[in-house]
Amino acid sequence: MKMSQNSSDKDDQSPGNKKGISLPISRVRLIMKSSPDVSSINQEALFLTTKATELFVQHLAVTSFNNGSGKETNSLSYSDLANTAEETETFHFLTDILPKKILARDYLQSLEEMKEEDADF
Amino acid sequence: WLFRSHFLSNHRVSASSAGRSEPTRIPSSMDADNSTTDASQLGIAGEYGHYVLQSQDEGEEGMNDHDDSGIKENFREQDIYLPIANVARIMKNAVPTTGKIAKDAKECVQECVSEFISFITSEASERCHQEKRKTINGEDILFAMSTLGFDMYVEPLKLYLQKFRETLKGEKGMPGVTLGDGVGDELADESFTPLPAGIITADGQQQNVMVYTTSYQQ
Repeated sequence: MKMSQNSSDKDDQSPGNKKGISLPISRVRLIMKSSPDVSSINQEALFLTTKATELFVQHLAVTSFNNGSGKETNSLSYSDLANTAEETETFHFLTDILPKKILARDYLQSLEEMKEEDADF
Repeated sequence: WLFRSHFLSNHRVSASSAGRSEPTRIPSSMDADNSTTDASQLGIAGEYGHYVLQSQDEGEEGMNDHDDSGIKENFREQDIYLPIANVARIMKNAVPTTGKIAKDAKECVQECVSEFISFITSEASERCHQEKRKTINGEDILFAMSTLGFDMYVEPLKLYLQKFRETLKGEKGMPGVTLGDGVGDELADESFTPLPAGIITADGQQQNVMVYTTSYQQ
């Protein structure tokens, strides 16, 4: 059978969908299946994951916005996200994909400093 | 080229991600210190281009060679994101109305989302295996959330789940529908239209549920 939801994946505009989900479930499933050793996922699990992902996006956006410079600038930037990942325990798992951006020369400089520190031991 | 760590707990760094423009690259002399393991990789570059490390993983196989099921054939692992429009919309609705969101912030949340899904899934999967089951169910997911520090989502999710089950229950006679334990007798009232867009294309048209459930019974 065709997965008819593919065509409506990006569409949460259907009038009845007020409390529904605004993310494409099939895509969520794809991502889940890409984890190793995942054989099958039941419908509820898929639904819950999709819903949780919505909550997660909201949670991350709001937390980053409030913690970061967002309040003054009224905008959300990448560095707000990176800072939040570092400062908020719940989002620690994101620190590796949200590295803070620094200038290359600053990085090189801190490398130098680290080497000097190591030399002291 | 842009290197990303993805699906942190389980996967290694894979090669560049299509669609992300990345002109800047720091010469490989930087790699001497890049002794971190698979995970930590580069800053997001693109228009920033400030801080990019090249990962030295000749030893890593390309993402296309993962030993997973055949779903990979059309997607590279790190390209599996939720559509940015959807993600951006949720973000927009979450922050104050007049707030703006930087483009790279949207892209980045898109990636965080994939990471989150994998994070939860692998935890749930592990529990599932420990209990010698093959199918990840709702309880596994909720348990994983709780374990991983997202217990604040659990109660709201339980409520959504209940409504979801009620909706399915209204579809008596649909084969292949997994309901879990029976919940409530009343059907959805008129103020409640929770069905995911993926299941129903039009309000009240419920025959598509069949399609949905069938397709997920693999």
